[in-house]
Amino acid sequence: MPGFDFSHHNRNAALHAQGVPLPKATSTGTTIVGCIFDGGVVIAADTRATSGPIVADKNCEKLHYIAPQIWCAGAGTAADTEFTTAIISSNLELHSLSTGRKPRVVTCMTMLKQHLFRYQGHIGAYLVVAGVDPTGVGLYTVHAHGSTDKLPYVTMGSGSLAAMSVFETQWKPKMTKDEAVKLASDAIQAGIFNDLGSGSNVDVCVITPEKTTLLRNYIKPNQREQKQRSYLFKRGTTAVLKEKVITREEISKYVTVQELPSDDDVVVVEKMDIDA
Amino acid sequence: MLNANSPLASGPSYSFATPPNQTSTNIKQHSFNPYTDNGGSTLGITGDDFAILAGDTRSTSGYNINTRYAPKVFKIGEDDGTGESAHIVLSVVGFAADGNALKERLNAIVKMYRYQHGKPMSVKACAQRLSTILYGKRFFPYYVHAILGGLDEEGKGALYSYDPVGSYEREQCRAAGAAASLIMPFLDNQVNFKNQYIPGSGEGHALEARKATPLPRAEVEQLVRDAFTSAVERHIEVGDGLQMLVVTKNGIEEIYDPLKKD
Amino acid sequence: MNSLVAQYSRPAFRNEGFSEREQDEFSQITPPLSLRFAMPPIANPSSFLRAVTDDHSNPNCPIKLAHGTTTLAFRFQGGIIVATDSRASAGDWIASQTVKKVIEINNCLLGTMAGGAADCQYWLAYLGMQCRLHELRHKRRISVAAASKILSNLVYSYKGMGLSMGTMCAGVTPQEGPALYYIDSDGTRLAGNLFCVGSGQTFAYGVLDAEYHYDLSEEDALELGRRSILAATHRDAFSGGFINLYHVKEDGWVKHGFNDTNPIFWKTKLEKGEFSNVTSELV
Repeated sequence: MPGFDFSHHNRNAALHAQGVPLPKATSTGTTIVGCIFDGGVVIAADTRATSGPIVADKNCEKLHYIAPQIWCAGAGTAADTEFTTAIISSNLELHSLSTGRKPRVVTCMTMLKQHLFRYQGHIGAYLVVAGVDPTGVGLYTVHAHGSTDKLPYVTMGSGSLAAMSVFETQWKPKMTKDEAVKLASDAIQAGIFNDLGSGSNVDVCVITPEKTTLLRNYIKPNQREQKQRSYLFKRGTTAVLKEKVITREEISKYVTVQELPSDDDVVVVEKMDIDA
Repeated sequence: MLNANSPLASGPSYSFATPPNQTSTNIKQHSFNPYTDNGGSTLGITGDDFAILAGDTRSTSGYNINTRYAPKVFKIGEDDGTGESAHIVLSVVGFAADGNALKERLNAIVKMYRYQHGKPMSVKACAQRLSTILYGKRFFPYYVHAILGGLDEEGKGALYSYDPVGSYEREQCRAAGAAASLIMPFLDNQVNFKNQYIPGSGEGHALEARKATPLPRAEVEQLVRDAFTSAVERHIEVGDGLQMLVVTKNGIEEIYDPLKKD
Repeated sequence: MNSLVAQYSRPAFRNEGFSEREQDEFSQITPPLSLRFAMPPIANPSSFLRAVTDDHSNPNCPIKLAHGTTTLAFRFQGGIIVATDSRASAGDWIASQTVKKVIEINNCLLGTMAGGAADCQYWLAYLGMQCRLHELRHKRRISVAAASKILSNLVYSYKGMGLSMGTMCAGVTPQEGPALYYIDSDGTRLAGNLFCVGSGQTFAYGVLDAEYHYDLSEEDALELGRRSILAATHRDAFSGGFINLYHVKEDGWVKHGFNDTNPIFWKTKLEKGEFSNVTSELV
């Protein structure tokens, strides 16, 4: 059966009634914006993800792919924005395959609002949908309860007021692409610096009839400076009570062991950014 | 269509001409919320002949920043009129209004002590007095975590930390406030060398734990900076500026460093 | 009508600045002996206090006070052993691992600290003052019975207001010999040979009751005190840190160290073969 599994709902509701706190979901406290310009649309987002007052991810991606020319910025519960956009992306792909036409932004927005309305706000996804399709440029906001707006410039998330103040003072019709990108990133920076739920870097996505450009970490105004001290411990600092060596023969009972060309070679499966 | 019973339809139900039908002493108590959490963090570390108290300068409420410069660390007992310089520092974090009231009160008491006794108050005496001030509001507490720093009678760095109602203890280091749970474990490990053993000093249970020794001032300042830049990375309520007050036998030195503003 | 006018025509600045009481505080040379506590300006202060400080009834309360403990004291032929752990917790946060839970009231009297740290610290210091005043007035030391009664009467007068303390008074006087009393914030005051107080009390009683004799030697008594606290720090999450040991003798108390539990635990396990449930074997 596809869809949500509600089998723990009664148990969790009973536990909650007894005072057991519900687990905390990672929410993107977030500033997201979008604005149209002459010949396209730009959306932008900050990159901070929070869990209560703690920063859970300093450089997360809040701009989600829906279709080559339709992108979505998400605020609210991180998992909900991630999965909702993925589901709609896949349904939209199937839809465009069966109709043989390019997907439209209104279609995407309608599918999103119908999906979210069905779940009565329990899916905490607050979205900015933007794109260019054969009918022209589209820019919408979709709230978790299913309401939508169609506007020339939009903001959402906890930093929406800070960002909107930038739009309300500086937006003008028929901007160039560069002006729009500057304005959107200024709006995000207003959120980054004035809203505690938003922070770190600016991601921008520019969509024109010709192409889509994702500018990941377009501005990095919050690079951490070098630490004053080195915190490398001397080998042997940690107390060891017992040592046990697991041989290759033993471990290969459970996993596949692959030989490295030589001992000095380091195989990087996936690169991770870490502080120095 | 207005409901006939609604105040809008029937006009206001009160008048200055008629006294209220309820006595004013019997007003319905809704709820009493005298506290706000203004976020931020403070930390103190002592060395052989100095004490450092530090705090970030951001003041928050909810997701908003009230100001990027609101000091949390104060000199106590300074008097421009008499030229008396301070030798005690106090940091307060929690509810800023309570913190300020507490600072003002302790400051007045320390000054009065100087005028009445003709000598400055010792840090030990000031620490005890602060405890009784906090306990005086046992049933309506100051919503603050205070740390008091200075030099003791032998000239050694002294640091006292308090809970909101005045339980206190002299310590080597202490972090308080929003990011206390992020900073304190770092301090335990880097100042008191908790969970560190001397490499090669023995096998298994014979391995010797690394003993805590007072750190030199330059090193402590580095630890304070790293503690705060790290807290800024992971706590949304900490940032904007780092204020440090260093107490030595030559007086109190103030250092301000900018922190990230996001 | 006049009363109404009076009620609303109070000058607005009346409550500004420092009150008379607060001004007194600055001009008096010493803090007042009898405390006048500041109260919240509402009808029911104790329920307000509970709402903001009691993390048991309200886990999201804004002010977390230091709590949690294991303390014990017992009488034996050589005097009284007093032992405590040193952990203070505020909610699920370990506020300190180095709390001095044995409070030295004077050189013959000890008090222990369980419950609210500030309550115990403050009122036992207050008790110390009262004991000294008794000495000055009567030219002899106060009995443990009288000292403990000062404390129990005091906390009883604050009953229902939210004080939280479970304390033991241990001391020797010529007229009583070694004497031990338990006092708590409900107003209970009991004399006895053996008490354990705090969240880890059951674990400490388990060891203490099993091994306790009045005729214990001094060395064995100290070891039993230490071992009982160790058992409590091992099983109670709110107890831990250091073991604080005192021996009250005829001519006053003697301190027997403030020692880290971790090496004591491993020593007990490896040398005596106890705690065999704990293993460092890898599976």
